[in-house]
Formats: sequence, structure tokens, C-alpha cells
Amino acid sequence: MLKLFSIDDLRNLREIITSDIDIKKPCINICGETACLASEANLIVRAAKGHILGKRLHDKISLRITGCHGFCEMGPTIVTEPQNAFYVKVKSEDVPRIIDATLKNKYVDELLYTDPKSGTKYYSQNEIPFFKNQKRTVFSRNQKIDPIRIYDYIASGGYLAIEKVLSGMTREQVVNEIKNSGLRGRGGAGFPTGLKWEMLAKQPSDEGKYIVCNADEGDPGAYMDRSLLEGNPHGVIEGMLIGAFATGATKAIVYVRNEYPMAIKHLIIALSQARDLGLIGENILGTDFSLDFEVVKGAGAFVCGEETALMRSVEGKVGEPRQRPPFPVEKGIYGKPTAINNVETWANIPIIIEKGASEYAKIGTKGNSGTKIFSLVGKIKNTGLVEVPMGITIKKIVYDIGGGSIGNARIKAVQTGGPSGGCIPADKFDLHIDYDSLAQAGSIMGSGGMIVMDEKTCMVDVAKYFMNFLKSESCGKCFTCRKGTQRMYELLDEITRGQGTMEKLDLLEELALAVKDTTMCGLGQTASNPVLSTLKYFHDEYVQHIIYKRCPAGVCTELVGAPCQNACPVGTEAWRYVALIEKGEYEEAYKVIRAPNPFPSVCARVCDHKCEANCRLGTTGGQPIAVRALKRFITDTVDPSVYNSEKFIPAGEDSRRIAVIGAGPSGLTAAYYLSLDGYRVSVFESEDRPGGMLACGIPEYRLPRNILEKEIDALLNENIKLECNKALGRDFTVDGLFKDGFDAVFLSMGAHKSRTLEFGADSAPHVFSSINFLKAYNLRGEFLAKGRVGVIGGGNSAVDAARAAFRQPDVQNVVILYRRTINEMPAYEEEIKAALEEGVEIRELVTPGSIFTQNGKLTGIECFQNVLGDIDASGRRQPVLNKSKKTLVSFDTLIVGIGEHPDTGFLKEMEIAIDSDGKPIIDPDTLATSREGVFAGGDLVTGSSTVIGAIAMGKKAALVIGRYLRNEELWQTPEIRLPDFFLEPSPESDVETDMELPRIEIPEIPVESRADNFSEVERTISREAAKVECGRCLRCDLAFTQKREDEIAAVGDKAK
Amino acid sequence: MINLIINGLDVHVPEGSTVLEAARFLGFPIPTLCYLESLSPYGACRLCVVEIGEGARAKLVSSCTYPATEGLKVRTSSERVVKARRMVIELLLATCPQSKTIQDLASAHNVRRQRFRQEHEDCILCGLCTRMCEEQMMAKAIGFRGRGESRSIGTPFDIESEVCRRCGGCMYVCPACQLRCTFTNPEKAICGGCANLAPPCVEKDQFKDLMCYMDPCVACEIKKD
Repeated sequence: MLKLFSIDDLRNLREIITSDIDIKKPCINICGETACLASEANLIVRAAKGHILGKRLHDKISLRITGCHGFCEMGPTIVTEPQNAFYVKVKSEDVPRIIDATLKNKYVDELLYTDPKSGTKYYSQNEIPFFKNQKRTVFSRNQKIDPIRIYDYIASGGYLAIEKVLSGMTREQVVNEIKNSGLRGRGGAGFPTGLKWEMLAKQPSDEGKYIVCNADEGDPGAYMDRSLLEGNPHGVIEGMLIGAFATGATKAIVYVRNEYPMAIKHLIIALSQARDLGLIGENILGTDFSLDFEVVKGAGAFVCGEETALMRSVEGKVGEPRQRPPFPVEKGIYGKPTAINNVETWANIPIIIEKGASEYAKIGTKGNSGTKIFSLVGKIKNTGLVEVPMGITIKKIVYDIGGGSIGNARIKAVQTGGPSGGCIPADKFDLHIDYDSLAQAGSIMGSGGMIVMDEKTCMVDVAKYFMNFLKSESCGKCFTCRKGTQRMYELLDEITRGQGTMEKLDLLEELALAVKDTTMCGLGQTASNPVLSTLKYFHDEYVQHIIYKRCPAGVCTELVGAPCQNACPVGTEAWRYVALIEKGEYEEAYKVIRAPNPFPSVCARVCDHKCEANCRLGTTGGQPIAVRALKRFITDTVDPSVYNSEKFIPAGEDSRRIAVIGAGPSGLTAAYYLSLDGYRVSVFESEDRPGGMLACGIPEYRLPRNILEKEIDALLNENIKLECNKALGRDFTVDGLFKDGFDAVFLSMGAHKSRTLEFGADSAPHVFSSINFLKAYNLRGEFLAKGRVGVIGGGNSAVDAARAAFRQPDVQNVVILYRRTINEMPAYEEEIKAALEEGVEIRELVTPGSIFTQNGKLTGIECFQNVLGDIDASGRRQPVLNKSKKTLVSFDTLIVGIGEHPDTGFLKEMEIAIDSDGKPIIDPDTLATSREGVFAGGDLVTGSSTVIGAIAMGKKAALVIGRYLRNEELWQTPEIRLPDFFLEPSPESDVETDMELPRIEIPEIPVESRADNFSEVERTISREAAKVECGRCLRCDLAFTQKREDEIAAVGDKAK
Repeated sequence: MINLIINGLDVHVPEGSTVLEAARFLGFPIPTLCYLESLSPYGACRLCVVEIGEGARAKLVSSCTYPATEGLKVRTSSERVVKARRMVIELLLATCPQSKTIQDLASAHNVRRQRFRQEHEDCILCGLCTRMCEEQMMAKAIGFRGRGESRSIGTPFDIESEVCRRCGGCMYVCPACQLRCTFTNPEKAICGGCANLAPPCVEKDQFKDLMCYMDPCVACEIKKD
């Protein structure tokens, strides 16, 4: 066996190895790290070996099994040399093609990384956004070397640093070099490494000193230390050699957790190779520097990552932290001076020595130099290990490298630093990441875990999750840490089950602060961070759980029940009617649909179906149940008269009177429910017919008039008096209403005033606001659109206007102009899809500039091109105006649909406070305005919103106004509504197949027959299709009802 | 000798002393549960926390384990210390409400309620017994097992220890299980503050001036068998 006896021996060896290497020889590097192995990288390796040997290609191409390439989301990955092509999600059958293409210096196009959104193919790894925005320094060798071949490491410049150190540097020089580099401990606390070494170097060395590599990486979601040890163990060994030389340490210990078998294996192989070569042991490279290594395997306690606990564990005792001082550098393992550094810190050392401290310090920011590896995981598109310079913004990591959120849900926070770290909300994503800024924001760097969370993540649940981890991983020595974490978990658990109170929330915070203060080690002192940071930034989510008994993210099972029911603003038991349809009990299904919602047929057509967005089948990988189509099927099949369970109290002469202003969905709903209770309700409508936006905003092809009229007629009864053509502010006042003997007023006039363009185009001829355009046809049958039609805006009313224009007789073509891209359009996806099918053109990234007219006729508008800029707090890219690039677009009609707001200037005179947008200021809990007895709801207070949202507010208004008239407390704690009706699941249902079955296609009339008429586009699904669709339902309700059913059965058995 | 300042007073203590020893030398009261002069300090109960350092660097440390260092500034009952200590006592009460020692502590620090879910454990895991067994009895028969919420004291694998001499030292030093308030059995009852009479918590009206200071008395809330 070759052994190196001098520094020259090492130099010669390196020369021999490098001269042997044919740089032009192609090579394929297969990631053989744990994450890729889990996606069967071993089969790929086998296939590659088989192909190379079988075709006798081993002289022409090299094969290397390397450590982690970083892009774990796309594993298993292959990087080829010299093309630097990056193949993703490789399967074993693809390998021969990759090898053959690489030999011919070609690419296998379909396996290259392709951006899922833009479809761009990347031929070079360095061009891929995930890699392009990183600065891979410590990690750079990972994909170039085989971790268990020391020659690979040496050939790539390994052991150059120790060579430099041993050929003439003094201990002080090395320590100073590290000090000057500004390297701070990568384990999380960020203590300057050079300073630690200096302290150790100063300790008397007669009894020996220790240096330790802390590889007890235990944070859930963090695995960069593992990847370094698995992918480049020699880098860590070299760093420790330099550390030992600089500090005079006599023994090096690597403390690695036993759950990392591959890291341990690679480390032990690397150590024995280095020992055989004479790079560790006695008289290294012929100098008088000696160092021996020991690998200690940790037994799986998270707390052993804490340095004093680690030391006790090395000594063979229970891993329990102890009070510092004395610090480990004074009194460490077996009482001897000890310096403990993290894997990543050690891996940085050779790089500093090679590059020189001043060069290294240029990376990152002042006081936080170098790079940091983060493991980017959670609800993000590109998960993996990313190495970035210190001081980079979170935004850059999350959006540029990480690629943003997976689905449509907005990213709301990142959690850094593992269980004892904290959450940083999206509006703080401009934060430059370093040790100090993270601590200031209430989190910690930790070892570098970065868990991305979106709207579907409940922050209370997150805090509870981490507390659950900490309560079992606290060593238990400090009473406040052991009991404190248990009690915090207990309080959080109560909150997630809807049993929390605001007093308990205060207690939680008080306890969290006390635990932070009174515990001894880093674990206890940071254990409160998950609670404190979520309380700080997401207090509202706690309040939602405690006061409103709801989990906004839909996570906390005991508050949510069935996700579909929970998502519905009126709490429709979607699971129940889906199950009933499957059984064929259509009338029962209708009753379930109608009970909470007075507009079932309307909602069956135009609801934004939050139930489908939250359907568990959809959120867990399948396609959501087509709930709205099923509702449509029932409302079209069943006669509404089957529902007759409402109690109706006829009003008398002396009954209390309520005025409802505006006959839209919220006004009519409130009037209907109040009338049932025996109140006399007068509904005032400014147009000539009731319906509000349903009648004048939503076009007929989505909601046929006869359906709407029938549904509204069914709601009116003898207690309700409808007065059309009467507008508040024009025909009567609130004072007048009270004078006329009304006891309460509900304002629900909606939002009917269009926002206007800045350049005053609205007064030009043939320019209409979308709402006026839609009203003209919907209410009066006028066709305003002619010739070439342009629509400005990306919301529902813009798309509705475009689709309505398309159906008008004299229209040539319709173009929507939107300032962002289709992906950012707020209109419903299906509406956009339908518009595109119908031939509406959507021009993205344009901002209208000015308008051109000739002889009193519109000729066109000038448009500026936008580019997508920085990401705003909503997670969407901001359009940035590029004034230099403008185009002229010819139009004969222009429709402006950039949003609506209420027209309420007159409310001020009626002593009702409004905000700058014209919305009445209300107490969201009670809908009460600033004036006694006056309540407000619907689009009037929310701005244009959904039909079901307006109905829900109308229901709430009826409830609150009833309480007001009975002199009761207006606000009452809401009930938690969990599924409580047991429906036997069908025997043939099977969750496994449910996940794979496709969602039904909703029948539509063909695109060709849509022009020039307004007939309804969507059609009812068939009985058979409905049954199949219902069969797919996962029946989330059974988790609640089945259990109870079983209990009842058990009691029944006992009775027998 | 080491000079440090405790609550503004200069004090000189021999090298190797702890902050607790220095403070007690001056007569400042610092409550402890897991500390016994004859045993090595452990720092488990966190009752003896004191504030050291100044400004943003001020922090709480357990005085029983913190070495007295030159120039150290210590505050033994600053607002922060008192607040933290009261929370520790509240947590103790929530765990072991029947311990007379803990009830007395609560009384002395004016902790009159506990807001957590009531538990009735016998042990606060202060580790006095294990240290007694190891350091004074040289037996090491018992020790800590498990971690976090499953931490407990006992012999390895719950097998009867061969080295245990049944000396009872462990029971003697236990702060939680000595003098337990046993509520309804008047002969054995030693209810907090009631001077070994029949428990006043049974008929509070009669013993208004002698009553248990807990309101409600958490010990009394244990269900009668």
C-alpha cells in the first residue's frame, strides 16, 4: 500500500493522478445519496454499469457515483461531463440513452430539466434557475467526486490546504487566517470559529485536547450535514486536520448520529483511506504533527447536538447538557479542553486556507462571511439543498431558487432553524439572511433547515408539531424545559381542538417567555421560538381558532371536520349530499343542499366552489370531486318543493320592521331568513328587478334568467315587501326609514361603481365600464360592443364582459389586455379557459397608455409593454412598466373592467362611517356599522366578492339583526360543525382506486354554437356520471360519524 | 478570593464557590428544591434562577450551578427573576400539588392559583435521590431513565437493584414526597398551613383563619376513592 512520508510525496501523488486523467473523456455522475437512493438510484447505477460493461465502453466513458447534487426534488439526477447536462427523474431504462448521447456529445432532450411553467429546456446545469442563483462552494465538489475514492478527492484539489498548512504555516498563522475569514460556526449559534480555536490553542496541552465534529443533525427537514459527510467526507477530515494543527489538539472525534448509516460508512472508509496514505495518524506527511480520529455514533437523542450534552454522550453518559461556564474549551471531554464545530464549519476550513482569508471574506456580508447551505423543503416547487452567500434575501431563495409555491396556494412563511427556530412571514421576505437578522426576526439560523409554508399550513398546528417534537426530545433535566414544553403542547393542543381561551393564550405566551428565560441549554432557551414567533406574526390564526373556532388553513381536524363543509361559507354538507347521490336518494340530497343555502340553483352554476379547492382528494394528489356539477345535477333533477322544513311565522301588524337596502344575494338572503322569524321586511332595490349582481353582472350564458327568477320568487313571501326602482340616497334616507317605523336597517347595495383608468379614458366615445356594459345587456338587452373589442382587466367582471361581447352580433374579435400574465389573473380558471376556447385573445403584460379618437369615434389605444418584476407580498410578480416599448392597438369598443367599489358618498350624511374606498366601516363580528341599528354586508363591505360569500353574510346579518331586535348579545361564540350524520359507505368504494379515477368532464355546448347567442354553456351531468363521481369521494365525514356509530353499536351490543 | 456584587453588595468568596453560596452567605433568600449542600449541584428545578449581566446581555442562570466569577453582577430578586420563579412554582403546583414543600413555596411567593390542567404526580425529577444514592451512599442503585416526557427515576429496566441497601436516603431527601397532603384521612393528613389538624379544607368555613392557602386547594380536588 502506498504511504506518503513527506509533503513532496503528496505533491507527486497528485501529479501522477491528475496526469492520468483524460479531461476529454466523458463521464456520467450519478447521484447516489440517500434521497436519490430512495427514488431507486441504485437501479440506475446497476443499469449504467451493465450498459458500460456490456457494450465495452469502459475505455470511452467513466462512471461516478457521487454525493448529493442538491436538486433532490428532481432525483435521481445525473450530471454528464463535459457537457454539464443535468438529467432529472432518470429511470433505469433511460440510462443507456444518456450514456450513448454523452459519448456522442449530444443530449437526451426529454430528460433534461425543463421549467414546468415556462417550458424552457436547460442544456447546462449552470443555467437552471435552481443552480444559477446559488453560490456552490462547499458543495461544489459533491457532484465531481466519488466520496469513497480518495484519489478523486486529491485529483480535484483535495488535501491541498493541509499541504499548504504543513509546508510552513505556523499555528498562529492558521488561527489568524480563520479569524480573518470571519467564519462563524455553522451549527447555528454563529460563534466565530477563529476565536474558538484561539481559545483552545491557548489552553495547556500537556494532558491533550480534543476537537469534535458535530454531525448530530437532528432538525426535522435539515440534511445538509448528512449530504456533506456522505458526499465529501475527506473535506471534513481535511478541515479537522487543519483545526487540530492550529489548536494543538491531539484527538479528533466525529460525533455522528446513528441514523445516518451511509454517512458513517463513507466516513469510516474515508478515514481508513487517509490513514493508509499517512494523512492521519502519527507524524503526518513526515512532520511532527500527529492526529488520530475516532467516530462516535450518537444514539438518537436530539439534545446530543448541544455541545455539553454531546461531550457527556462521548464519555458514555446520558446526553444531558450542563451549565456553562466552564466552557468546553476550558473543560470538555473527560475534563480536557475541547472545541466542537459543526460539519459545515469544518468543510469550510480547507476552502478558507486554499483561497485565503481575504478572498473568502469577500463572499457574504460584513460580519457574516461565506456561504451557507440551506435545506429548502416544504410547500415549495424545488426542494433540495441550496448553498447561497450569507446576506441573500429569503425572497431570492424561495422564489428564484425554490421556484415559488407548488400549487396556487400563496406562500405565507418560512420556518428556519428547525424545531427551536421560528417562522418568518411572507411580508418579511426581504430580510437578508444572516445570524443576527434572523435572531432579530425571532428565529435562528440553526443548522439551516428552511421549511416553506403556504396557506394550507396552519401555524398553530406547526407550533404544536414542533412542541410535540421538543417535549419528547428535551433531555428532561431542567424542570421548566421538560414541563414547559409539555404544557405548551397541551395548551396548543387545546387551541387546535377549539377548547382554547384568550386567557389560556396569554398563559401560553407567559409560559413561553418563562421557559426561554429559566432553562439552561440552547434547546430549552429556543424551545419557545415556534410559539413566540407564530404568536408574533400569526396572532390572528390563534384568534381564529380560539374565538371563531375555525382553522383558516383547514388543518386542525377537530375544528375542520370534512374539508368541503369547512370551506363552504354557509357550511353546506357537501360530503353528505355526495353520499346521498351515490345512494340515489336525490330528494334527500336536495334537502341537504337547500337547508343552508336559499340559492341552490344559482350556486350550482356560479359558485366559486371552495369545497372543490379544499377537497381532500385534490389536496392529496388526486382530482377534486366535481361538487358544483353534482349540486347542479340535483337542483336540475329535483323539484324544489320537496324542501318544506322551514318554519314560517306570519307577521302581524305589530311585528318589528326591517329595511333591507339592495336585493342582491346578501340582501335577499337576510330578508328571507328574517321573514321566516316573523319580522316584516321591506326590500328596496334601485334597479327595476331584484337579483343585484346575479341579475345585472353575471351573464345569461352562465346563469339563465328563468332559473334566477324562479329562485328569487321562491324566497319572497307575505312577510317581505319588495320595492324596485328605489335607491337609498336618491329616493329615501336612513333617517327617513327610522322615522317610518323601521327598527333596523341592513345595507347591501353591493359594489357597482367601476374603477376608472388614470388617463381619463372613460369619457371617450365607445368606452364602457364592464359593469355598465354588462348591465346594458343583462337589464335592457342592448348590444354595446361593436367591431374590434378590447377589454382591460383580469378579474371576473373583465372576463365576463369579454365573453359577453363575444356573443354580441356585431363583434369581430375580443382582446383582453392584462398587466400581468394569465397565471396571475384573478378570474376563475374555468372562466379564463372558456374565454380562450371561445376565441377571446388574452394579451399579457400590457398597460394601457392613452386613448385615440377620430371624429368622435374610438380608434384604438396605446399600450406599454410590462416586464414581470419583483415578487410582492401576495407572492405574485409585480408588473414593471417599460415606457420605451409601446404599441398601438386598434379598437372600436373598449371595456374597462379593473374592479368595482361601492357608490356610497351619501352614507356619510346619514351618520354611517365609510372608509376611503367607500365601504361602510363595520365590526366584522357583528356587521354593525357606526350607526345604531344599521348593519351592512355583501359586496358593499367586501368589494366584489363571491355569491356564496354574500349569501353567508346575509345569513349572518339575519342572525345578528334578530339578536339586536331581541336585545341579545350580538356576538356569540360560533359552534364547531363536524359531520354528525352517519351514512353507510358503499361497499365497493376503495380509497386506492378513488385516488386514480379521473374527475368527470362537465358537458358543455360546443364552442361553435356559442357565438351570437346567450344560451347556457354548461350542461347537467348524467345520472350514471353523477354516481361514478360520487363513488370517488373519500368520505372524510366517516372519521367523525363512523366512530360514533361504532360506539352506539357497542352500547347496543352490551344492552343485549 | 473572588469578588462579586450581589444586589449591589460586594462579597468575597473562596474560589470554586457558586453564586448561590455567595448569595446565601450574604443572607439573600433564594428558594431551591434540587439543591442540598452535601450533594453536587445539578440545576434541575430552576427555582434558584438569578439574573446576571447587564443590558441586553442580562440573562437568568441557575445560581446553584453558576460559578462565582470575578466582577460578576448578580440580582437575586429582580422583577424578571420573580416573574420567572413564580411561573416555575405554578408549574410545580400543576405537577405535584400535594407536596407540602411546594405548597409552602407557593405560599411564600404568593402564588395562589395555577392555570394549567391539574396533574397529580409524585415526582418533580429534581434528581436529589439519584445524587444521594450515588454521592453519599456510593450505591448508584437508581438513576434517570428516558428523556423528555418519558424521563423517570428508577433502576435499569426496573429490575430490583442488587446494590440497593434499602437505606432510605432517597426518600429522606425527596422534596416532593415528604409531608404529603392526604386530604380526607384526618389521622394522617398534613394539609398545607393547617398545623396538622383535621384538614380544614373539608369544612373551610369553620377554619377560616387556618385554611389552606390554595384557592381552590388543588390537593383537595383529588377525587376521593
